[in-house]
Amino acid sequence: MSIHVLGIRHHGPGSARNVKEYLERIKPDIVLVEGPPDADGILEWAGNEQLVPPVAILVYQPEAPQKAVFYPFAEFSPEWQAILYARRNKIPVRFMDLPMAHQFELKATREPKIDAEEAPSLNNTLAPHIPDARTVKYNPIAYLAGAAGFDDEEKWWEHMFEYRQDPQDVFTAIAEGIQALRQDLRLPYDREEQLREAHMRKTIRQAEREMFTEIAVICGAWHAPALINMPKAKDDNDLLKGLPKVKVGTTWIPWTYNRLSYSSGYGAGINSPGWYEHIWRYPNDDGSRWMSRVASLFRGQQKDISVAHVLEAVRLSSALAALRRLHKPGLEELNEATLSVLCNGEDFMMQLINSELIVSDRIGEVPSDIPRPPLQTDIEKQQKRLRLPQTADFKDYVLDLRKETDLERSILLHRLDMLGIQWGERFGASGKGTFKEQWRLQWDPSFSIEIIEKGSWGNTVEEASSQYVQHQARTSTSLKEIVTLLETAIPAELHAAVEVLIQQVNNLAAATGDVMQLMTVIPGLVQISRYGNVRKTDASLVENITGGMITRICISLPAACISIADDAATELLDLIYSMNDAILVLQEPELTNRWQQTLFQIAHNDSTAPIIGGYATRLLADHRQVTGNELVKAFSYAMSSATSPAISAAWLEGFLKGSGTLLLVDNDLWTVVYNWMHHLEEDAFKQLLPLLRRTFSNFSKAERRKLGEKAKGGVTGNAGIHQQGADNIDVERALKGVPVVLKMLGIK
Amino acid sequence: MSNVLRQHAEQLFIEELEELKKQDTEKRPYTWQLSPQAVVTYLMGGRLNNGFEVQPKYIGSRRLIEIAVATLTTDRALLLYGLPGTAKSWVSEHLAAAISGDSTLIVQGTAGTGEEAIRYGWNYARLLAEGPSEKALVETPVMRAMQTGKIARIEELTRISADVQDTLITILSEKILPVPELNTAVMAQKGFNIIATANNRDKGVNDLSSALKRRFNTVILPVPDSIEEEIDIVKRRVESYEKVMELPVERPALEEIRRIVTIFRELRNGVTADGKTKIKVPSGTLSTAEAISVVNNGLAMAAYFGDGQLKADDLAAGIIGAVLKDPVQDKLVWQEYLETVVKTREDWKDIYRACRDL
Repeated sequence: MSIHVLGIRHHGPGSARNVKEYLERIKPDIVLVEGPPDADGILEWAGNEQLVPPVAILVYQPEAPQKAVFYPFAEFSPEWQAILYARRNKIPVRFMDLPMAHQFELKATREPKIDAEEAPSLNNTLAPHIPDARTVKYNPIAYLAGAAGFDDEEKWWEHMFEYRQDPQDVFTAIAEGIQALRQDLRLPYDREEQLREAHMRKTIRQAEREMFTEIAVICGAWHAPALINMPKAKDDNDLLKGLPKVKVGTTWIPWTYNRLSYSSGYGAGINSPGWYEHIWRYPNDDGSRWMSRVASLFRGQQKDISVAHVLEAVRLSSALAALRRLHKPGLEELNEATLSVLCNGEDFMMQLINSELIVSDRIGEVPSDIPRPPLQTDIEKQQKRLRLPQTADFKDYVLDLRKETDLERSILLHRLDMLGIQWGERFGASGKGTFKEQWRLQWDPSFSIEIIEKGSWGNTVEEASSQYVQHQARTSTSLKEIVTLLETAIPAELHAAVEVLIQQVNNLAAATGDVMQLMTVIPGLVQISRYGNVRKTDASLVENITGGMITRICISLPAACISIADDAATELLDLIYSMNDAILVLQEPELTNRWQQTLFQIAHNDSTAPIIGGYATRLLADHRQVTGNELVKAFSYAMSSATSPAISAAWLEGFLKGSGTLLLVDNDLWTVVYNWMHHLEEDAFKQLLPLLRRTFSNFSKAERRKLGEKAKGGVTGNAGIHQQGADNIDVERALKGVPVVLKMLGIK
Repeated sequence: MSNVLRQHAEQLFIEELEELKKQDTEKRPYTWQLSPQAVVTYLMGGRLNNGFEVQPKYIGSRRLIEIAVATLTTDRALLLYGLPGTAKSWVSEHLAAAISGDSTLIVQGTAGTGEEAIRYGWNYARLLAEGPSEKALVETPVMRAMQTGKIARIEELTRISADVQDTLITILSEKILPVPELNTAVMAQKGFNIIATANNRDKGVNDLSSALKRRFNTVILPVPDSIEEEIDIVKRRVESYEKVMELPVERPALEEIRRIVTIFRELRNGVTADGKTKIKVPSGTLSTAEAISVVNNGLAMAAYFGDGQLKADDLAAGIIGAVLKDPVQDKLVWQEYLETVVKTREDWKDIYRACRDL
């Protein structure tokens, strides 16, 4: 009977190859792998054709799904190869790490917050960092690397073990090296570490008791010595006694190479998953195959790379390896050769190689019949039905909401968005029209956590999102938040939730005393009622509350315009602007009427902030409520010399807000301003000139030039604008255009 | 000590090269004087097995030098590319000295460099008297390097006009230099290669044709990464200058060098060393080499016109000369820098005063 302890590096392709060869030679009858025993049950899926790495085992607490850890496996992970070997040869395979059921609890007692990203057993690819303030952060393996003359421990390990072609005695060497390290470095006592190793030994003893004769143990190199030199069984059992425990669930989820890399913050990450996959597949590649891939990538980017280039680059990388006394060029040498030969020393193309080849954007697959949360099953079912595959790289979709499938796609995306699963990002669709939506979709494996968490709200996307939104609606107290929710809930077609939201809007609107808050949400609501028609949704519900809210605003707005500071006035001015827009979009005569009355009140109150007063007057003029002499009177009154210049200036600014072009085309407005100016006394004019200048300086240069030209033409302004006479219309020809216009407006 | 103003690298460092040769146990390619590893050691400095200390010649990334040396072991030529004053020629000289023991096979590229400076010329008196013959042929450094299997150097390759540059293609790809007049050809011996240098921030340069570019591996020499590295370079070069010029002056205080390097780096990067204030960038390159010459200049001023100690006054003229390459725009940039950055630094008062008074 013998126990073979194989110390490996997580996600090391050379380790994987060595493990595979070693297992094939010794033919064990059981394989023990460092990993969570909680997931023993789902190990049977390994070897299934549809379980394609990179995949990860997700261990989570059903009660608190945010507390979850991933155990990722790539094709070149030694653990994965060991599991596959066991499945192929129909021998038992077990995980032997301390169960996550315990680890979750241990973590929780030690630190209040736990990072969902980091799998504790994979803290580092090689060994744990020594958590000692004095030694800074130093990986123990670095001592070995330093002794061998390398400045980087990862690189040393790569050249020592990962690129090695001949696996003879490699595991013995690793165990001995680490043993020496563990003896000589006085590491601080780490209870968790002790517990984990104790549990690994316990699992090995258990296998021995079950009369397995050839036991293969695959663990991180750091643990190997601790598993070879077994202490007494009693000590370990004492240590493991009475550990706290929680309930955990496990499942397989697809993983991506990007998530496997350091840059995405994964603790046991590797720099170059794509490169590792390459050396796993082609262990004998001298760089030619890699360089050919680089070359074809460059050619795809319209950069001419000849075969000679590839040849030269391979030669340079070999020369570099020889110079550095390495037996084979590594990624570093290949990159340097690429930079020097293919890129002429400029490194901007290296970014591309890094994202496309060195990391690469592979995503794994998981069989559809694997046990998983019902919500996830529903999401996948809908993704399949609507042909929206999960991809690691982003993909853009333009949805035409008039088409059945696209509409359903949009609904799904909106619903997922409401659940906090940010799969799709919405862009402003190019082109006018509300029937188009542009989405950019990119699947992130960490959504799995979100899905499990939100699974508590329901088993289908519709149910879960509806319940979740209703929950948010009931707990939120901010009107703006609710309206934002409403804006998404309507295109997500969650009718029940919409009703709750609307009710909540109504309640909050009644309670709030802040007219500005109400005004902020109005444009959103109006947007919804317009949207509703395209969506075939009944938007009348929204229209009802909009009416109520506008009434409320109209009542309190005049008072809100009095005695306010300049910046507040400007803010309010913008709100009035969008409010006016919203009213015009709604086209409800009753509401319009009420709005006009409000404006009238504001305009005629002397205490109104002048800039708002001016703007209100202008809006009234736009609404044709104040015209002709009335307008002239109001204008002259506001601009009379008795008012202090600052106030007149503000009023004028409000009156002419954003109306450079309007002044050009609206002859009435033009006449008022022109006549008023025309009748000014010379002294008064001189006094007012700075104010006018201030107002006009807000207009664009072209507008100012045209205004000047128009002013040359006098009151009628005909010098600037040639208006088309409406007299000579050929009725017959005009009628022919009417159906086209009707069609464009969507009226049949 | 010889009276030569500046000796060739292979003479100046003859002791190091001899020692390296003795200690070198690695395989030497072709006609190389040293193994590639020893060449890298020669450039980057280090301690040999017997305790002999080799001075670093290039201070910066070891990887770049490794790429350069590895390139020369293949049949591709080496192109050192970078801003003016980033030690391109310096590296090329030392590489040639270490590899061939001879850094003198050099062609200085200018707009007027003709084909005859690269391939071969004729001794016209002889040509007229005897007709074309081997004796009438005037060899160029490139031709000699081919015959002897050494490294030829071409400085400022991009200044040479494009059609002349292209004469290198046959030499580099087929390692042969045909002499059609004599119906012969010079075959390159093993070990022959070319190191070219080129500027990437210059007016009036001719880009390499892509056929020629393909024959070169490019190594871009960057400006020094950190301020410490740059100070180190300036200090070493200034010390060797002192030795050659025999100036009766105290060694420059590290503090002075640090200030010069700081000023140069800040103006070059367009931001102050603490990263807080944005600065306008003058039109000059303000390379490390220029910082060195400013300090050297200051030393000479101190020795002959000052009190023998390097002070701000001695440096001011040099700094201004280096920064103000364009009399109008750079002047504004400099004044802004002086008033907003230099003036506010408590211990820089002397430099501020010295610069303002000029």
